[in-house]
Formats: sequence, structure tokens, C-alpha cells
Amino acid sequence: MHIPDGFLSPQTYLPAYAVAAGAWTWAARGLRDKLDETTVPRLAMLTGLAYVLGLVMVPLPGGTSGHALGVALLALLFGVRLAFLAYSGVLLLQALLFGAGGITALAVNALAMGLVGGMAAVAAKKLLDRLGDTAAVAAAAWLSVALPGVVVALVLGIQPLIAHRPDGTPLFFPFGLAITLPAVLLPHAFIGIGEALLTVAVWRYAKSRRWT
Amino acid sequence: MNARGWLFAYLAALVAATFIHVPALLAALLLLALAAAGTTRWRLLRRTLWAVLAFNLTVSAGYALMTLWQGSFSADYLILVNLRVVLMVFLGFWFVARVDVLAALAGWPTATLVITLALGQIRSLERVIADFRLAFTSRNVAQPRLRDRASHAGAQGIALLDKSMAAATESALAMRSRAAFDD
Repeated sequence: MHIPDGFLSPQTYLPAYAVAAGAWTWAARGLRDKLDETTVPRLAMLTGLAYVLGLVMVPLPGGTSGHALGVALLALLFGVRLAFLAYSGVLLLQALLFGAGGITALAVNALAMGLVGGMAAVAAKKLLDRLGDTAAVAAAAWLSVALPGVVVALVLGIQPLIAHRPDGTPLFFPFGLAITLPAVLLPHAFIGIGEALLTVAVWRYAKSRRWT
Repeated sequence: MNARGWLFAYLAALVAATFIHVPALLAALLLLALAAAGTTRWRLLRRTLWAVLAFNLTVSAGYALMTLWQGSFSADYLILVNLRVVLMVFLGFWFVARVDVLAALAGWPTATLVITLALGQIRSLERVIADFRLAFTSRNVAQPRLRDRASHAGAQGIALLDKSMAAATESALAMRSRAAFDD
């Protein structure tokens, strides 16, 4: 789902950085005053955990698999703010050290996966709790994959509209919404099912250890 | 130039690359970067091409098919976007190969601390994942069922959470014993 460097126009990523700066400030507020020998390792642990959860292969029907996001799990266990900060750290590390994603796309990727994904998970869990814990967590995990997918598809899909030559030739990502929405959403609808299975399994364990 | 200077130069170059829409200029800048990268240039270029191959090939092939069918194909676009992506990713790999990222972030001590601890965690947790995969492969002669793979993924998640919590507690104790935040 990561958008790489070179496919987003400055008209997109510069405002996205402004929005992300506000979101990062909001997420770090309070945490900054509490940075101590407990919170710093915890944030580092979550960043490391968010990174490696992305390496867990989520099983898909037919023998194939996708990668987990892990955002729902982090947001449900540790809150949206910490999940968003940890996920932003992961994206920064992936972009700088491993060449995945990109620095110009960092803000959009962080807002989509870290913030929208985390918020969607927490909101869905609260709204659907009356259906039972398992259903609520599963729906939260599925939404934490599907909604960021919608955001990424929308951001990519508007590129030909906002950045093109006078003759209409695109300058960045070339496909419009009619292509990006189904191309991103259909696979992620399936990945979301696998993510839901994974999240429910770990959530039950976390509850048994009284981490929630 | 110090590490932080290189960081700002790298960020400025990335932004500048997104404002250039002339393929010849982007090609010249890529050649310049290749020339300046010294003896590591071909290794970095090979790494760059592998990193961008899947996404760029998919986008380029999709664009070519769609626009050839619609009669609006532009080779100029394909050259422009691929050159831009290769240049930006190459600059990233060159920056990381040339500059100590942690030294570049030295002005932000908390960020450096979090990233250093996180990188240590990542290395250790990656080994857990690798061990799980090898164990799962060695215990399944035939293709495992969806249920088994889901249970395996869940077990990995639980092990990662457990190990992370233990590592965070250990780091907290180590930092407390060294009075890391007493100032």
C-alpha cells in the first residue's frame, strides 16, 4: 500500500506534510512531557513491533498471502496517538534505511495507514462492541486496512487531475480514480480479512495477559 | 559538510526533483549523481532498479496498455516518471550509504534514541520471524490449510508482542539504572 517517491505531486505532498505536522504534534502532545525511561523504550518497542508486524504474512484464500499492517492491533492496545507515532517512525525507517515507500510520500502514507487506519480501528471497535468482542475487533482490523486503502487510492487517483501538461499528459501518477479505487480496494478487501483473523488471535491473547 | 547538512541537501534535492518536468534535465541530474557517487555507483544503481522494478513496471505497463488503446500514448511521460523515480530512490540509497543517518538526526536526541532502540528491536524481532518461518516450513510437508496459516500468523503476532513487551521492560530498567533521564 506504500506510495513510493516520485508519484505524488508537490501540490499533494507539501499540504500533506502540513497536515501531518499538525497530527504529529497532536500525537506527541502529552507524550513529550512524559518522555522518560518507560515511555521512550515503549515507543521504540512499538515502532519495532509495527515494523515487524508488517513482515507477518497474512494468509489469503488460494494459498497466497499479503503483509499485515498491524495498525489496528497497535491502536486497540496502545491508543491512536502512540500507534500513529510508531507507524510514522516505521515509515521513516523503511524509507531511509530500506528504500521502501518514500520521503516525499511519507506524510500521505503516515496519515493514511497510521492515523486513518488507527482511528478507523478504534472507532469501529467502540461502535461495534455491542456485537461482541470478536466481531468488533475483526471489523476494526478490516476497516484499518480498507479505509487507508481508500485514502491511498484517492490520493493517487487525483494526481492526473492536479498535475498534468497542457495537453493532459500526466506528470506524476497516471491513473484516475476509476482505476485506482478498484485496483487498490479489491486486493485490500481480501488482505483485510486476513488482517482481521490475525488481529483477533493476538487480541484474545493480549486480553488473557490483561494488556487491554 | 556534516551529516545534518547532507540530510538537508538530500531533502532539498528530493523536493527539487518533483518540480522538474524535463526528462533531459532529470537524465542529466541522474548522470551527475552517478558520477558523484564514486565507486559505489553501480551497486547503488542496481539496488535502486530492484527497489523500483515492481511498482514502476506495473504502472508503466498499465499506462502503456491503457493509452495505446485510447490513442493517447506519451513516451515522454514514461521516460519522465521513470527517470524521476530512479533519481529519487538512487539519491536515498546514496544518502544512506554515505551518511550515518543517526548522526544526521543527532540534533533531535529523543528521535535518535527512539530510532536506535527501534532498530535494535527490529533486528531482534526479524530473527523471531525468520525462526517461525523456518519452523513452519520444516513442519509442513504438504501445503498447509488456510486455518493453519492463520493460526501460524497469530502465533507470530503473539510471540512478537511478548518479546517486545519484555524488551521494553528490559530497556526501561537498563535506562533507569543508568539514570538516563535524571537530567
